[in-house]
Amino acid sequence: MQETLLKIREVSKHFGGVYAVSGVSLNIKGGGIWGLVGPNGSGKTTLFNTILGLHRPDEGDIYFNGKCINRLAPHQIYGLGLVNAFQIPRLFSRLSVLDNMLLAARGHQGDTLLNSLFLRKGWQEQEVELAGKAMEILETLELVHLALSPAGELSGGQRKLLEVGRGVMSSPTLLLLDEPAAGINPNLGKKIFQGIEDLSQEGLSFFIIEHRLEILFDFAHWVYVMDKGKIVVEGKPEEVLEDPAFFEVYLGV
Amino acid sequence: MDPLLYVLDLIVFIGIFGIVALSLNLEFGFAGLANFGKVAFFLIGAYTYALLSQIGVPFYLCLVAGGLVSAIFGLLVSLPALRLRADYLAIAVLAFGEILRLIVKSEEFAGGDWGITVSPAISLVGASHRVDALVNIGLVYFCLLICFIVVQLLANSPYGRAMRAIREDEVAAEALGKSEVKYKAQALMLGSAMAGVAGGLYAQYLQYVLPGMFMPMVTFTVWIMVLLGGPANNWGVLLGAALVQIFNRGTNILKDYFILPINPTDLQYILFGALIILVLLYRPQGLLKESRIKTKAMEGVRRARNAVKNKGSQ
Repeated sequence: MQETLLKIREVSKHFGGVYAVSGVSLNIKGGGIWGLVGPNGSGKTTLFNTILGLHRPDEGDIYFNGKCINRLAPHQIYGLGLVNAFQIPRLFSRLSVLDNMLLAARGHQGDTLLNSLFLRKGWQEQEVELAGKAMEILETLELVHLALSPAGELSGGQRKLLEVGRGVMSSPTLLLLDEPAAGINPNLGKKIFQGIEDLSQEGLSFFIIEHRLEILFDFAHWVYVMDKGKIVVEGKPEEVLEDPAFFEVYLGV
Repeated sequence: MDPLLYVLDLIVFIGIFGIVALSLNLEFGFAGLANFGKVAFFLIGAYTYALLSQIGVPFYLCLVAGGLVSAIFGLLVSLPALRLRADYLAIAVLAFGEILRLIVKSEEFAGGDWGITVSPAISLVGASHRVDALVNIGLVYFCLLICFIVVQLLANSPYGRAMRAIREDEVAAEALGKSEVKYKAQALMLGSAMAGVAGGLYAQYLQYVLPGMFMPMVTFTVWIMVLLGGPANNWGVLLGAALVQIFNRGTNILKDYFILPINPTDLQYILFGALIILVLLYRPQGLLKESRIKTKAMEGVRRARNAVKNKGSQ
């Protein structure tokens, strides 16, 4: 384990009088797969959205690589290498699958107005490389034959895969995945997690919300359990499974 | 009237409105901005041209200045307007256009109701109207070509891809590092610059500017061009510009041959309205569908995929 990547200190987010996240603190260190589980409505997705700058925290601070990111816009947070894949895929449906992938590439030189007009040679070369990388990712996701089809034509499961693929495409430092295995067949779900494990061995860190505990607990090395906006249990998967508080959350006993 | 001159005149109009349609395509077709104040930037370009040419500034500088002033206004308008939701943005810029028109109508420096007379850009001594029109065609289509190249290059670049992404889903684009405000402000700025140049061309071709030339109907006509031709397809909107202009002229000629119980100009508007409804109902993508993003990488992948497909079918 390396130094702390993401540090969350006493973060709260409420909507009206309802506290979706209340006083959450956690530390994500570099390398490895970190899980976040909890029943529906326990505040997992709200916590993710707050980390990503889609919501502003009402209280508390969020640090990424030692830098406070509370007040940054989502595109700035993305620029730092903290990237997410949405729970419900938000694809650009009229653009092709490959275009969707290329949009996720960080540091594409052609992204600015003047470069796209006057530095065509530079970014064209870069994009050929990026497209090669995108096709490799699509290959593992079994989407390569659809690379040029509009993303809107994909099935539900394929959309999910592309959403995850886009996250990987951005070469992030920390990738937040919101239920990557939901809505796709169990074998492919496992395959995705195997892909995640491979990437994590290459140094990418993951923070994953997942309802399919049987898959997540096989791969994660540390799990946080959330209930009613609070972290109630944390630990190694096998420890969490032994913890009575975990059963209380899930079974209400 | 000389029929040939009529056709030449039509060609000039298609060129000028082609530029405006391309600029709206950049804003609406690619970036998804509902600019219902297009005429405002057309007006700024035209009046800038007229006012500068009055004090003897050469025509090409007047054109450039028209584009620049219009771009500055585009940026200024975008700052508050981009905080608004799409439909409110449309209303805000629509009002901006009307305010500008009423200002030039009331202010003495802009000639008020009487407008400003503009001297032609290139005046050849003793040239016929036909030669004059040909000179204008050269000038207008030169500007159109430059604008077309710029929007085509942008459409087929990562920048254009990011714009389209923002049009599709602002939140997702923002979460993938594309600053919504930056792209939208730049689109409005560039689109306004192009509309400003077109306004300058319009002023110098007609050799006068009047507040009445810049009614909101101009904006809607340009919208019909874009919606009919095909948003996010630059060839499509040029086709749309040509068709709408021809339709306009055609109905103008026809109205001399029919005696109608209603005002024929109103009928023209009614037909335009019906046309836009029909297009949106039955062909929402326009005559030509959205163009693909063609970059070296995309075309490379396309070729490779086609090669695989052909192998499979043999």
